[in-house]
Amino acid sequence: MIIRELIEKIEGEAELDFTFNEGKIEDVQINFGFYRGMEEILEGRDARDALVITPRVCGICNHAHLITAVKAIENGYENAGLKVALSPKAKAIREFTLSCELMQNHMTWFYMTILPQLEKLTGEISTQNYALKASYFSSTVTKAMSIFSGQWPHSSYAVPGGVTCDPSYVDVMQAENLIDECIRFFEEMLTGLSFEKYLSLNSLSSLGSVEGDLGKALWLIDKNEMAEAGQSHDRFIVLGDSVLAKPGKAQATKVSNVALRYVEESVQTGTTAKAVSYKQKLYEAGPLARAIVGKEPLVKSLHKRYKDSIFTRVFARVHEVATLLVQSKKLLNALQLDEPSCTLGKMLEAVDFEGEAAVEAARGSLIHKTSVKEGKIENYEIIVPTQWNLSHGNEKEEGVAVKAMVGSKTIQDATFIFRTFDICSVCTTQ
Amino acid sequence: MASQKKLKLLWLQSITCNGNTHSFLNYPDLATLLSYFEFVYHPVIETPYTIEEVAKGKLECDILILEGSFREEGFTRGRVEVSKIFTAYAKRAKHIISAGTCATFGGIFKAYDPEYISGFIFDGEERTARYETYASKLISLPGCPIHPKWLSYVLMMLLKEKPIPIDELHRPQELYGITVHTGCTRNEYFEWKIDSKGFGLKEGCLFYEQGCQGPYTRGSCNKILWNDTSSKTIVGTPCFGCTEPSFPKRALYSTKTNMGIPATMPLGVPRRAYLTVTGIAKSFKIKRFEERIITYDH
Amino acid sequence: MKIAEKKALKRESIIQTALQLFSSKGFHKTTIPDIAKKLHMSVGNLYNYFSSKDILAKEIIKYTSNVLGEEIREVNMLEISAREKIRKIVALYFRMAERHPERIEYFLRVYLANREVFNDGCEGMTCVSGFVTEIMIFFDDGVSSGELRDQDFFSAFGLFMGYLGGMVFLKGEEMLTKDIGQYTDDISLNIYAALKA
Repeated sequence: MIIRELIEKIEGEAELDFTFNEGKIEDVQINFGFYRGMEEILEGRDARDALVITPRVCGICNHAHLITAVKAIENGYENAGLKVALSPKAKAIREFTLSCELMQNHMTWFYMTILPQLEKLTGEISTQNYALKASYFSSTVTKAMSIFSGQWPHSSYAVPGGVTCDPSYVDVMQAENLIDECIRFFEEMLTGLSFEKYLSLNSLSSLGSVEGDLGKALWLIDKNEMAEAGQSHDRFIVLGDSVLAKPGKAQATKVSNVALRYVEESVQTGTTAKAVSYKQKLYEAGPLARAIVGKEPLVKSLHKRYKDSIFTRVFARVHEVATLLVQSKKLLNALQLDEPSCTLGKMLEAVDFEGEAAVEAARGSLIHKTSVKEGKIENYEIIVPTQWNLSHGNEKEEGVAVKAMVGSKTIQDATFIFRTFDICSVCTTQ
Repeated sequence: MASQKKLKLLWLQSITCNGNTHSFLNYPDLATLLSYFEFVYHPVIETPYTIEEVAKGKLECDILILEGSFREEGFTRGRVEVSKIFTAYAKRAKHIISAGTCATFGGIFKAYDPEYISGFIFDGEERTARYETYASKLISLPGCPIHPKWLSYVLMMLLKEKPIPIDELHRPQELYGITVHTGCTRNEYFEWKIDSKGFGLKEGCLFYEQGCQGPYTRGSCNKILWNDTSSKTIVGTPCFGCTEPSFPKRALYSTKTNMGIPATMPLGVPRRAYLTVTGIAKSFKIKRFEERIITYDH
Repeated sequence: MKIAEKKALKRESIIQTALQLFSSKGFHKTTIPDIAKKLHMSVGNLYNYFSSKDILAKEIIKYTSNVLGEEIREVNMLEISAREKIRKIVALYFRMAERHPERIEYFLRVYLANREVFNDGCEGMTCVSGFVTEIMIFFDDGVSSGELRDQDFFSAFGLFMGYLGGMVFLKGEEMLTKDIGQYTDDISLNIYAALKA
């Protein structure tokens, strides 16, 4: 029996065809609709136009697209023999603004997807306005970011050689204050613990002291007996370099090296989304992957007990906010404003080049590849994180999200598992 | 706070990136605003109806908010063609707000299939056949994305039944009567025609080399700041003209010039007048504008 | 005639006379009494119009620049190709050199040679913007129509105006073997060849 279910509020929508056998889900076909043609829109444009066009792939991870696009151009310049050396200041500012986007994404997802869906699933409906909590955190953290990036969404402030902003210490102070406000939110709303206390948690058992909305979510997952649900291949990939993890892949917790050239994209039938694999194997991308590859102790301790279940996956995403808050403070504190913001002059002579880059976006590794002839884009390829998690799989194995859903008894359980991957429909149908 | 009956909002999407949705969600005064309205449907906020229920076209709504580029056929929401859903609610709603450049003019996604993709009521700056039917209800809020305060202003004016002065493209004059140049922190450099010596500097105007379209782009980005704090030009990024029917133009990080003369003049300024002023302003070397604003000593 | 109009006419005649004297005798060798004498007016009255010789010198350059700018402006307004406009600008410039040699002489021998007089108040293009603006418009139109090659403004401006100024200088030195007007075709062609896309 196949049941088709429309999933909405995943930055767009998708249709899932669930195949049931003996009361359990046996297979899931994931279908995304309309293709928007972003890669074609870029063809024939100036190489740098990608910095304005690609953020418009996605209203929620636009900044990751910007950072990936600029790194792909810089990689192309280097391949063409032009040295690109960013100042530590420019690197740190990029890292900071991208971290802010990750944090807004995670909290928006947690409050607007996970908590309401969990409440529906468990019948524990509260009168809380989670959207307003999400909005408060998100508008605070994007304000901190906009001090440097000018705005969110859709900034284009990263340019080859650095960033366009030239902040003062007044700006830095304002950003630091806003990050402190995010920490206060993390303490009072999310965990009910002082930030210091939260950061000292080091084991699964110590998680019992977590209260607040995170405590509630973990309790609801556990109450619904879903803590072990949603396990997949237990295989993770991180292709971008960030404050969270160095690039690498992991089978369970065994970490090894990666190289972009082994990433393959292929067309799938019945959907506009392309599949993506690494050496023909499917990997989970995103915060859980970063925590495992980056050997984050607390997530590893959950993983030891629950593997790559939704419990670990949900926790890893929220926990990443804590790590990013710590890193953000460090990045801001270390900024030396007398360093140049941009080290490349306005006239660039590299007209023919091929460049590629991978960046850790909120949902996982994002890849851009640009081929430029006579200064114009000849070909542009974008591989988005959701493709990693939602590929259907191949003859040998099921896709990551598909495998996680297989075995569920109800569509409600399965779609909740689906949503723990933080699906982005618009990215997937770029 | 809100005592009167709440107005019903219906937020529908077609071909979009969700940028307007998320921009709106980042509105610091969202709680206050939402106390006056209720969402029948919103693309990410929890709302009482599913998209499939909405797609039947039978729900009540006062204000229809549209996001995304429009095409007559081939794009569905809740398994129904968006053209059917949009039309159904465009008829029912008392007001229609096109939120963002895509919904207003066609925007970035129009570039993929210019013949079939447009805004709902305008195609670029041309009126579509739907114009006559819906013009009386329409408020255009172009911008990629919209600023949440722009939308908030329109919603509150509609709530209070106060008139909103608009221009020929139905854009509120309060928001689009000025250019992005208005209020830019680099205005002194524009006055004296001093270009920025590159990206990443506080000093210099971005109109001469870096492609800034601020002087001829309608919008209040430097009056109503983004995320309540900044703007593109403040942080040294050129304005890309994202509120205009022509968005996105090409070669966005460089100014098109003819023998060093900007090819596009500031809005409404005759070229002869501009060049006369330019020639004179450029004749003076003013030390303050040649120097860094802040010097860090070690 | 109203008083204001009379005064404007008088002002212009002072400029014309001073222009001739400055161009022929040189700026430093010409005195205010010389100019007043030639105009049959009192020195005191002349000072009512221009309070110093330096100010008069600056007004003259603005005046000549505007006269030339007006003529180029008329060419700019025509619906003709850049090539034809070059021909017309060269022709009007040489015509001016023949009919009013003092205007161009003034530019070459007074304005460019006595920078200390003009530095305060006539910096850069402030006093010559009347004609420089029209040359900018000519270039801008030519490049946007695709007929002229995009390049730095000054490389094109120097080629165009330096060339014409050089020819008038040669004429003033009586080096040219033909009437300057007879060079119009060749010079127009040379300029066009150098500027075309």
